[in-house]
Amino acid sequence: MADLFDSYDPAGFFDEMFAASGQPRPHYRRLSERFVRMSGVSELLDRQTLADQTFLRRGVTFTVYSDDRGTEKIFPFDLIPRIIPPAEWQHLERGLKQRMLALNAFLADIYGPQRILKEKLVPSELVHTSKHFRPEMVGTPVPRKLYVHINGVDLIRDPQGVYRVLEDNLRTPSGVSYVLENRQVMKRVFPNLIRDYGVRPVETYPSDLLATLLHLAPDGVADPTVVLLTPGVYNSAYFEHSFLARQMGIEIVEGSDLVVENDRVYMRRVHGLSPVHVIYRRIDDDFLDPTVFRRDSLLGVPGLVGAFRKGNVALCNPIGTGVADDKAMYPYVPSMIRFYLSEEPILPNVETFLSSEAKDRGYILEHLPHLVVKSVNEAGGYGMLVGPHSTKEQIEEFRRKIVAQPRNFIAQPTIGLSRCPSLCDGQISPRHVDLRPYVLNGETVRIVPGGLTRVALRKGSLVVNSSQGGGSKDTWVLAESAATEAAQTQPAVTEQLLV
Amino acid sequence: MLTHPSSSSAPQTSPTVLSRVANLIYWTARYLERAENTARIVDVNAQLVLDLHGQLADNPALWEPLVYVSGGEELYRQHHARSSSERSVIEFMLFDRRNPSSVISCICTARENARCIRDQLASELWEELNTFYLALKDDDFAKYSRTGASEYLGVIKTRIQQFCGVAEAMVPRNAMWWFFELGRFLERADNTSRILDVKYFMLLPKANAVGSALDMIQWASVLRSCSGLEAFRKSRRGQLNLERVVDYLLRDPVFPRSIVFSVREAGRALAAIDADAPNHPGKPAAALLSRLETSLAKGEISDIIIEGLHEHLDDIQLRIAEVHEAVQNAYIRYPTA
Repeated sequence: MADLFDSYDPAGFFDEMFAASGQPRPHYRRLSERFVRMSGVSELLDRQTLADQTFLRRGVTFTVYSDDRGTEKIFPFDLIPRIIPPAEWQHLERGLKQRMLALNAFLADIYGPQRILKEKLVPSELVHTSKHFRPEMVGTPVPRKLYVHINGVDLIRDPQGVYRVLEDNLRTPSGVSYVLENRQVMKRVFPNLIRDYGVRPVETYPSDLLATLLHLAPDGVADPTVVLLTPGVYNSAYFEHSFLARQMGIEIVEGSDLVVENDRVYMRRVHGLSPVHVIYRRIDDDFLDPTVFRRDSLLGVPGLVGAFRKGNVALCNPIGTGVADDKAMYPYVPSMIRFYLSEEPILPNVETFLSSEAKDRGYILEHLPHLVVKSVNEAGGYGMLVGPHSTKEQIEEFRRKIVAQPRNFIAQPTIGLSRCPSLCDGQISPRHVDLRPYVLNGETVRIVPGGLTRVALRKGSLVVNSSQGGGSKDTWVLAESAATEAAQTQPAVTEQLLV
Repeated sequence: MLTHPSSSSAPQTSPTVLSRVANLIYWTARYLERAENTARIVDVNAQLVLDLHGQLADNPALWEPLVYVSGGEELYRQHHARSSSERSVIEFMLFDRRNPSSVISCICTARENARCIRDQLASELWEELNTFYLALKDDDFAKYSRTGASEYLGVIKTRIQQFCGVAEAMVPRNAMWWFFELGRFLERADNTSRILDVKYFMLLPKANAVGSALDMIQWASVLRSCSGLEAFRKSRRGQLNLERVVDYLLRDPVFPRSIVFSVREAGRALAAIDADAPNHPGKPAAALLSRLETSLAKGEISDIIIEGLHEHLDDIQLRIAEVHEAVQNAYIRYPTA
């Protein structure tokens, strides 16, 4: 049987599709059978072309402004889905909810009684030196006591197949529009496969998000108005901003559209001002209000922070949330879970060393060629050293930086992320993947099944960020009923808790 | 799924549109209309040149009037100070990104504007404009000559009209739509006055050639550039001549590209915008428009021509610009406390 996976070698890492060479895992069998019926890789390539054209036509692009025309690129999309069986997803869901509740409790504590600092479970020093800690928010109430509304959690699977949290993204993480668009495209490209598999829908995300936002509206407003505040059309995530606004049926606004009068926020409409009650902001704290934070910010709204403090407008996320996704705070999340919830963490962290701690720093400096070093304030794969893939010069450069500014760096062992078959250079090859589910925290915690599976399309690369040659895949969480056969043969997931 | 806050779970929002959004849709309409008219002017000139013979056909002065009427003379001179030719004019009018009124710039800006408000547009509308731009963005003079002027420009006109057709069929008749209409018809009134003015700059071999065969051909071209030749014939105005053509394009009450028709439609759009807000100070713009409409009907065409058609058309353009300013002040840039 000559098939597309004949030369596929799953060895060396955890493979999402194959238990061993030629042996697809139960939940991938149907897909494997479907692919065998294809007329070779050319049929797959045709479908890939169809998918790429669809993205371009729909304008699902980000713009590279290296020339005056603005070259538009699509976020590379890989046709072969990442499939998650029901039991695995239930396990993830429980772990993600638990983490969300603990992080919110932590922020409420930090901007309130600061018990966890008094108990010395988290060093005060670490909080006070965090770039995103806002001392002026201590004692300021926030709507419904919610400090974090959306967490885009980066999950990875280690060589044993154990899901681990790599980082939290609490400040309006991006990428969810691709989750929805990828599914739209897959429905065109593999309509029958999606139906046969019983893939759980993701289309409820916009209405879940809107419900989360409406929940924050000030009391006594009968018909609250929610808007999305964008830095503007030149922001690389603008497509997502306008996509979400359209899906939720809310206005997308820029700073210049908003006006604050008497500590109330209004938007400029053609016939005058009309009130705004909830702002889903996709700009950082620093740029929110030039009268409070950065004076040179043209993106923000003068007086916005005052209106927020008076409780006349809700912000998602509120000001100062970033202290909890500071990468140096991450190692303490398991302690937070134990302290606030009296539970054991369901999803383990990745072992992490803080270069601000003297003993960790020594270890880091001795083992740089084997570690991944991350700058605590950067995202998108920037400011990062992947030791095993770096030159001596790059390693020495990081050594100097770490010694000079220990608070700015953390290090983690290089983890061989799980791999998933991907279509690269005309053939199917294993590529490393991660998974970013989007966890919403409103009246309840809601998680749309799956999330964004990012894939490092460069051979051997462990960096999945789009700025570093990453792409994405559709993520299929299977419905309980449709996947009973798969679930029965699936090993019990509880063993993951032992790690 | 069409436009504007309408999702069933969404909160009811105030019915009017954001000032910035209104401005973007207004400009989208203006740029599309401008691109279409530019294509029309170039098309007609290309046809006209075919009717000329000998040396005259190669004379750059046959092409330069297009630059004058588009108002881009200064910019054109900066880049083509030395030599001017059919090619340099066509490149400037169609493909030059340094010229903000070239077809490619207009379509690019219209698309960028639409991108800024794509949350408010029907997906079909955005995709229409996006695919149009993607198809157009790498075109150049070589492609233009290979395809042939009339074929190439025909496609551009059709794509823009296709967009307007989709818009017509899909956009709810709220303020968004009326700002689109306002932009479209203000731009059209302005552009038609410029097309009429093209004849002012056109070469006639001799001063006494007025009424000659060539003169007739040129007037027919002016009408054709507004898709007005057949309509003119049907209007039973008799033989083509200067006065009749000017009267038709200035004052015909039913021809959709005449100036008076466009001004009236713009006024209708303005009234619709203010329909729900009777106390809103959009009135200065409306007053300016209605004064323009009245003045268009005044005077004998023959007198206007004697006093100077070019100056008369200039005055119309100036008054349209005043309406534009009044619209900006009333709806877009109004002061707040």
